[in-house]
Amino acid sequence: MSDVIQIGSPTDRPRAPRVEDLTLKFSDAAVAELEELKTHYPDLKSCILPTLWIAQREYEGFLSGEAIAEVAHRLNRAFAEVEGVATFYTMYNTAHKPGKHKLELCTCLSCHVCGTYRIRDLIKQKLGIGHGETTPDGMFTMEEVECLNACDRAPVMQVGDSYYGPMDEAGLDALLEKLRKTPESTVIQMADAIVKAQIPAGAK
Amino acid sequence: MGECKVLLEHAGNPKYTSLEGYLSLGGYAGLNKALGMEKQAVIDEVKTSGLRGRGGAGFPTWIKWNGLPKERRGPQYVLCNADEGEPGTFKDKQLLEQCPFLLVEGMTIAGYATNSDKGYIYIRAEFLDGARAVRAAIDQAYAKGYLGKNIRGSGFDFDLYIHMGAGSYECGEETALMSSLMGERGMPRLKFPHAPLPVVSGIWDSPTVINNVETYSCAPFIISRGGEWYASMGATTKNSRGTKIFSVCGHVNKPGNYEIEFGTTLKELLELAGGIKGGALKFCVPGGSSVPMINADSVNQAVIGYEEMSEVKSMVGSGGCMFFNEHTCVVTYIWRTAVFYANESCGKCTPCREGTKWLVQILERILAGGGKEGDAELLKDVASQIDGRSFCPLGDAAAWPPLAALRVFPEEFDYFIKHGKSMVQSDAQLVMAP
Repeated sequence: MSDVIQIGSPTDRPRAPRVEDLTLKFSDAAVAELEELKTHYPDLKSCILPTLWIAQREYEGFLSGEAIAEVAHRLNRAFAEVEGVATFYTMYNTAHKPGKHKLELCTCLSCHVCGTYRIRDLIKQKLGIGHGETTPDGMFTMEEVECLNACDRAPVMQVGDSYYGPMDEAGLDALLEKLRKTPESTVIQMADAIVKAQIPAGAK
Repeated sequence: MGECKVLLEHAGNPKYTSLEGYLSLGGYAGLNKALGMEKQAVIDEVKTSGLRGRGGAGFPTWIKWNGLPKERRGPQYVLCNADEGEPGTFKDKQLLEQCPFLLVEGMTIAGYATNSDKGYIYIRAEFLDGARAVRAAIDQAYAKGYLGKNIRGSGFDFDLYIHMGAGSYECGEETALMSSLMGERGMPRLKFPHAPLPVVSGIWDSPTVINNVETYSCAPFIISRGGEWYASMGATTKNSRGTKIFSVCGHVNKPGNYEIEFGTTLKELLELAGGIKGGALKFCVPGGSSVPMINADSVNQAVIGYEEMSEVKSMVGSGGCMFFNEHTCVVTYIWRTAVFYANESCGKCTPCREGTKWLVQILERILAGGGKEGDAELLKDVASQIDGRSFCPLGDAAAWPPLAALRVFPEEFDYFIKHGKSMVQSDAQLVMAP
């Protein structure tokens, strides 16, 4: 509890943007996905979580005020309701824009006794970032997360849709090198994978 | 007793994740048989098997299935809890990734038996490999008529959807999971007897049966091979039948999932996982972080079973079995569990929201060398005032580890408070300090 989560400045998160000021950013494919998702549930409210995942992808990994307003608008819900949901869950990036790759290091029990804080210190040493911080070039964000439930691979780290573990210094170096050469953002790729997992193969 | 592989028999075989491969390895025998049976007969078979919920609570599965209205007056749902989040557990992850058809078939059987026509699988967002495997399984099942309208010509319709979470331990609790599925913050609701059970009023106020991944995955075997066959496993225990997957991790040589019969001893489980590494065994947390810890003597006595584990003052829980060696500081370990529950408390109930933070504050003060006389009693006091005073069991789960640690290793707390440092000196200790 020694680290305080970094919260963006108030100007990063404008209060409920007015619908007429919004520039809707969902692509045609995203709208088609949303239409498919609406058929899965009896009401629109239940679409909030999946639609926030679509928004996280369409808004390049960051759920800004506009992103949340667009979700609220498309689902006919109040801005405050959608914002309340989005800020509850740790995997929606609502506090600040993450880097291109998010290093989610598990620091929970098994990883803890298997030396995960060594990996945390190595990341600090190599990239200069701690919990909730992003490198100045916008490449990496580091986050200490709770149990990833891959305790057999402790200490384990999640980047995008993949788990890496057990982590050691050589593994960390190789992973950072690989990520630097990855042109796509793993943050966006993860949101995309989460949306795709909910869409049946035959859907339009 | 060694491993007894039923669910995990074909785990890791790449054929098991495709429909053809699954069928060639005996898949869908359970559903095919169930569709020819009376709905009540399917539930009775599950009753005979003695199957109990594998998510942690151990509630008899057939009672849930039997609780849904037999005459459908509106929608009825089958819901799967794949929001595995208990520290130390990774069994559902393997089942989703390597045996996705077991879950799909098991939920279809449950749908048939409970007269439901829709199912939802709530998967935590981190489990993308698992979600993709289940997605592929569902798509193939639809293509070959194992899901959708008129399954296998029986006139039974069943649709299955995946709903991804977004990062919240609390959503593994059933009422919070239902809130989350309905597009709300993942907060728990009042429970029976103050509110109706999910089988009366669950998602969208409709009757809902909710079970864990492992529970549903048992159903195909129970139906195809018979409830009596299933109940023959674990018959030496009081009231635990069948097999259970334990995720063994921590300081062990071969961490991984081990499926064992109930009645196996905890010591045998440790041996299966290659024994303890880096020193002698100090303590074990046998069922995920929430359950009370036990010392090495109790590990040697413990028999795995829902009732048997209470004899050593612990629980089977979700099966996340963590072993720790003699170089582990109990005070630091308890600090880390307290941090976990403080981070994951949803904030709804005051005792849990405030109490978990207080536990962390007291423990951080002790770890920083500022322990005061009476701190052990203070920890006990705060923890026992969280226990049983919140809507959901997260509060209880936060209270049990410190209470058990103070009971099992009181001298370690006293030493830390008195001397401002740990009784256990090791290199790892420096890294583990906050």
